[in-house]
Formats: sequence, C-alpha cells, structure tokens
Amino acid sequence: MSDSTWRNPLYLWDVEGAEEAIPANPHRDPQEVWTKTRQSKTPMLPVGRLRYYYKWPGHGGALWSRLRYWPTRRRVLEIRGEYNPKTLRREKTIVDKRPIWWALGLFAFMLGPLVMPGAYQNTLLAAGATFSIYAAINLCWMLILGTAGIYSLASYAVVGAAAFGVSWLSINLGLPWWLLPFAGAVIGLVFGVIIAIPAIRLDGFYYALLTIGLNELCRVYTLQSKQFGSSTGGLYGADTYIPQDWSSFDQSLLAYYACFVVLLLALALYRIVDGRRLGRILKMAPEKREAFAEATGVDYRRARVWVFVISSVGLGFIGGFYAAHYRGVSFSIFGFDTVLLGLAMLVIGGIGRAEGAVVGTAIVIFLDKVMISTGPLRLVLIGAIMLGVVLFLKGGLFGVKAQFRSWRDKKKSERRSMRSEKGGEMLPEEATETKNKDLLYWRRYDKMQRDFLKTLVTQEIIEEHRKQPLGQHSEPLERLLLYFRRAPQGDKYAITVVEPFKAYRIVAMSGQRGVAPRIVEDKIYASQNEAYHGVFMRRIQDLLES
Amino acid sequence: MTDIGFIATNAIVLACIYGTLAIGLSITWSSVGLINLAYGFIFALSGYGAWLAAQYVSTNGVLVLCAGVLTGAVGGVLVCALAFIPIHDKPNFTVRGLIATLAISLIGTQTLLWAFGPRSKNLPEIFGFWKINLGGVVLTSDKIGNVAVSIMVVTAVLLWMRSSRRGLEIRAMMMNPHAAAIVGIGVRKTGFYVMSITGGLAGLAAVLLSQTYYISPFGGLAPMIKGVSIALCGGLGSVRGAVIAAMVLGLNEALTSRLLGGQYVLITQFALIIVILLIRPRGIAGILDRAREA
Repeated sequence: MSDSTWRNPLYLWDVEGAEEAIPANPHRDPQEVWTKTRQSKTPMLPVGRLRYYYKWPGHGGALWSRLRYWPTRRRVLEIRGEYNPKTLRREKTIVDKRPIWWALGLFAFMLGPLVMPGAYQNTLLAAGATFSIYAAINLCWMLILGTAGIYSLASYAVVGAAAFGVSWLSINLGLPWWLLPFAGAVIGLVFGVIIAIPAIRLDGFYYALLTIGLNELCRVYTLQSKQFGSSTGGLYGADTYIPQDWSSFDQSLLAYYACFVVLLLALALYRIVDGRRLGRILKMAPEKREAFAEATGVDYRRARVWVFVISSVGLGFIGGFYAAHYRGVSFSIFGFDTVLLGLAMLVIGGIGRAEGAVVGTAIVIFLDKVMISTGPLRLVLIGAIMLGVVLFLKGGLFGVKAQFRSWRDKKKSERRSMRSEKGGEMLPEEATETKNKDLLYWRRYDKMQRDFLKTLVTQEIIEEHRKQPLGQHSEPLERLLLYFRRAPQGDKYAITVVEPFKAYRIVAMSGQRGVAPRIVEDKIYASQNEAYHGVFMRRIQDLLES
Repeated sequence: MTDIGFIATNAIVLACIYGTLAIGLSITWSSVGLINLAYGFIFALSGYGAWLAAQYVSTNGVLVLCAGVLTGAVGGVLVCALAFIPIHDKPNFTVRGLIATLAISLIGTQTLLWAFGPRSKNLPEIFGFWKINLGGVVLTSDKIGNVAVSIMVVTAVLLWMRSSRRGLEIRAMMMNPHAAAIVGIGVRKTGFYVMSITGGLAGLAAVLLSQTYYISPFGGLAPMIKGVSIALCGGLGSVRGAVIAAMVLGLNEALTSRLLGGQYVLITQFALIIVILLIRPRGIAGILDRAREA
C-alpha cells in the first residue's frame, strides 16, 4: 500500500458505495506555498546599497569636548557620535569630509613650488598665480550666480573696471601698490550698486543679456578712450608689490604666494556669505520662488542688493590686486571670450559650490595655459567639455556623485516594479483607493490558497469525485470542495431540475434576491450525481484558469 | 542738413539689419524657449559660407545671398540639434540651454578662427554700384538694397508665419508650448523649423552687414549684442516690440552721434535700455502675462 492511497473510514461501517482504498494524491503541505510567496525574491548584492563610513573610536571621557571656530559655535568637522547598538561601544562618524579635502588640497597647492620640475618652474608658477586670481574672481562670481541664482555675466567687467581705474590712478596720481586693492574695492562698490539696480527689477534672462551688453560697453569704451591706452592694447605701468631687484624666481614665488593669499581671502568671503544668514536667505528665494520667500517674510530684494555689493567689493579688491600683480591690465579682460572661459570654469566644476569654482578654474587654466601651443584647438576643447557637462551633467563635476545615485535609485525602482507580482493582488493605485483594506489581505491569502489548490487537481481526484460526488472524500478532494462551497453567492453554480430524476441542468446564481439564476450551458444531465460532477468540473476549470 | 540725412539713413540701414537679428532672437525665445547666444557664431558662419560661395562658385549677388542664408539655416539646425534636442525636456532647460549655446559659440568661433585664420574677408558688392540723390541725401545702392531686402525678407517670414500651416504651428508654440504639444504639434520638429528660419535670418543679416563691415570669426558678437539689446528692449518674443525698439535705438544712435559724439553711442544706448527695462521689465511690448514663462 503506497503513500498515495486513501482508505475510506466509512468502509468498515458498510456505507453504500464506499470502497476500501482508492488512489489519491500524495500529501502536500499547504505551508509550502505560503513560505514560497513570503520569501524575498530580490537578489541581495553585497555592495553598493549602503553608504559605508569609517567608524572612529570615541572617547567616553571626552564626550562633550569639541573643536569649534572661535567666535561661533560651529564645529570644524561635522562628526556624528553614536553608540553601536551591538557592541554598545561609543563610535564617531565623520559625516562631511569636505573640510579635510579642502585642507589637503590647499596644503598641496602651498607645497607645490617645492616639487615643480625645474624646466617648467616659471610656467607653472605663473599658471598657479593666474589660477589663484581667477579662482578668487570665480568664487565672488559664484556668490551671485550660485548662491543668489542671478545670471550676471558682468563680474569680469567689475574686475576690469576696478583694474583700469586703479591703474589709471596709480599711473596719474602715483598711488602706492598697497592702496590699489582698496581703491579697487571702492570702484567695485560703485559699480556693484550700479549693476544691482536693474537686478532687482529684471528677470533672469533679461538680466543675463543686459550684463553681456554692459561687458561689451566697457570693452568698447576703454578701447576707444585715449586715457585708457587705446593705442597700447591696455593700461600698463601701475605700481607693483613685487620688488624689482629680486631674482626672477623669487619674484615668481612671491607672486604665487601673494595670489594664494588672495584665493584664501576669497574662500573666506564665500564661506562667510554663502554659509551664513545672507546665503540661506538667498538660497531660499531663487528665481521664480520669490513670492513664496516674500510670503514667509524674507526680504529677498535687500539680500540681493547686499550680495551684489559684497561680491562687487570683493571683485573690485581682486581687480586692484590684479593691476598690482600684472602692473596693469589689458582690454582682453572685457572680452566675450574671457566671460565665456569664466563661465566654462564655473559650469565644469558645478554651479553653486566653492569646490566647483576652484577645481573648474584649475581644469580650464591648465588646458588654457599649459596647452597654449595647440592654438585655438585648446579653446575648442574647453568649449566641448563645457557643452558635454551642460548636456549630460546636472551639477557639473561635483554633482556627478548625486546624479549617479539618483540614476541608480531610478534603475532600482524600475527593476523593483518589474519584479512585483500582480496576480490576485491589488495594484498599488487600486490598493490606495479601496475602502476595505481587509480586502488586500484577503486577496493575497486567497491567491496563495488557490496556488496550493491548483496543485491538488489530478486525474485521481476527478475520478474519485465522478464516482461519488457526495459523502466522505479523500483529504485533497475535501479541501477542494470546501473551497468551492465557501465561494460567495454571486455567480455560484447550482443545479436545477428540468424533469425530476431525468433531466438536470447547471445554472449560476445571480447573488441578488429576486433575480433569477441564469443558465450557463444547454447540456442536460441525466442524473443528479452527473450534474454535481458537471458543476465540479466547471469549478475546477475556473480554478485552473484563475 | 546732409550729415543729418547721412546719419539718419545709416541709422535706418543698421536698424533694419539689427532688427532682422532681433526678430530672429525673439522668435527663437518665444517659440522654443531657448536664448540663442550662438547667434553671433551663426552670423559669422553664414558670412564665411557666403564668402566661400563668392570665392569658388560665383559672385552673383543673389547666389551669394542665398548661400549666406542657407549656411545660416544649417547653422541654426546645428545649434538646435546640439543645444535644444538633447535637453529641451530636462530640468533647468533655460539655464542649461543658455550655457550650451554659449559653449557652441565658443567652439564655433574658435573653429572658424582655426579654419580661416584671423584675417577678415570681404564679400563682393551684391547690389552693384549706383546711387540716387534724394533731396540732398545721397543713397547708395547697398543702403537701398539692405533696407529693401531685409524688409522684404522679414515681411515674407512674418506673412509665412501668419498664413501657412508650419507658421500656425510655430505661433501655437509661441502662445503655449504645452498646449501645442497636447494638440499634436511636435516640439522637436517645430524646433528645427524655427531654428533654421531664425538661422536663415541671421545669415541674411550677415550678408547684408558685410556690405559695410568685414567678415571675421568674432565679427558676429557686436551685431548679436545689438540684436539682443533690441530684442530685450522690445520685449523678448514680440515682433512688433522688436520693430519699435529697433527704430527707437536707431534714432538714439543717430541723435547721440550727432549731438555728443560717436564714442558715447553705446553708453546712451545702454542707459536708454536700462531706463526702458526699469519702467517695463519685459520690454516695450512684452506684456507680463503674454510673455513666455521659461
């Protein structure tokens, strides 16, 4: 006697039609379907799903001692302290490592002259000085472009105006070099107020186009006026901070470090404006969201005038230093290409972040100054990089990480939606619309139950039912019948008597009181048991099709 | 008297040419939402196209003009394919489009410099040599030709935009790009039409202006800035505003150079633009709610 034989317990009691043993299904555990449905089918890859941070050990005794910037309560590094939930040890996590990278980068730039190869020393020192000046200008520009979100293209015009002004003052009035940056700052202040007035009224693009025009105006004006040196290609002969009796290498080294100090000052200015109250106000009132900012009580017009004035003073200061550094200034500072290159620096690095301005400047200056032998091709290359960054990246080079993460999340959710099974369960949008949330769980359970019952339908079972539709049955058949009988009234099959003991027919209930059942098929069954079996076969067919 | 007439005719000629550029910029902005700052590059490119045609094919005026317009249209399609098609449905399109056109302008002008060298070229006189004396004012052939051709072409373009199926599509895009997309007007297809037409206008202006100035890789910048100022002043997206602004700025240019001197032209011009924009931030004709919102 094998496993798959069912012994009828009623046989011993001589019940009519009961056979001693009939073939039946081997036993199947209903738990299997449940376990299979419940288990996760997501392939769990071991990498790239969590952000891993190095955990530094923490000192229990020094829990509250923290290094802070002196006048503020800001901390040098953003460190999160927590207790490891498993080991209960105190741990520290450096959440924002950018200050470390900044410190390392600036330190490396400071030590740069020590490791420069001798043959390129002069080129590299000059390029380093140029880089520092342009990075400082771009940082001040970034305050307007990134923090305030105003597309002003007149920043190089401010620098140029200040440089021309102080060069003229130095040549004609004999201003000493240490006064030039401050005189430049005053000129920048005046210029900044002038360009800030239209910025309050005008929308982004009107302002961008207007500032391009202002830039061109400055260029044409200086190009045409005699006192600004229209014949010499610029205004030269300003007082300089570089002592002329030093050796050429010492002069370059001094220039390198002086420019580096200006860069540090510009970084400090960026930090002070962008990271504090003014920057917060400006960043919450970008273009097209002014109305919201105003409604929450932010005076964004005032903030914009302030940022224009502050950054123009900074730009003017740099302009004065520029004149003292290069002993004058040429018309090319007002050129459209200068503005384009400056914009390329900001765009390549990423608009709205200091590291973007500095690294973008480094890349463009490297391509521009070091590959100078390739002629116009290097500018084509810079333009191509700029175009590629604009077309493919959302936030420049420093936005690549965030962009990659969002792309990966998008892909992940796409795959997740492809994986999810729909049969029997409600779709997400349907589930939110349903009043009866119990229905969700009922449908899920029902699906698992049907999956299990489908495995029970075999030839043996059908044969068993055909022989004896009513009475005691084997366990799998009993399960099937219980499920079928429990179905709701609507569309439930029944049999109706056409002629007693001679003709029966299958109908389906309407499920509504007073509405007659409908006839499902024309077939006439000769006996009641045949009709019962016909209903059973229809139900089995419905089950297998669901 | 004669020099006033001279200055006035000069101003009218320049206003016609710059107005052509401004109308091109305006149509581009209002229909596809792109500030095309590569317009100066298209201008220079079509100048070189016309020069090549004059050099290697024939110096016939009509042919040179057509070559310039065609090169301009090709340039416009190029800018469209590079700066409009890939990013027009991405976030922050207006800013990215602006920067992309600036990048194209950088690449393009440097390529022109690389290919043709820094020496400027000049085109043949496409309108011939003749002059009329009109009540003491001498009108040369190129002036009359410039004014006539630019007015004719701009009128033709505007009439085409009013009466043809494609023009209807472009105007629908100008009114409401989203609604236009919903009723089945292809944004990309219309973008190509618009950019090729405005590129052609730039080419026309380039050939006409080269009757007075030379063609050089960076020669497109100043006309573009003039065109941008006129478009700004008239209100981006308004053709009538651009025409009015071209006349106002032309008059200002003529008056300033007569009363103050030539070097103050740009200063008074920008002062005037700033004053106009301070009074009406969307230009002379740009009414706030009709203007395109990015």
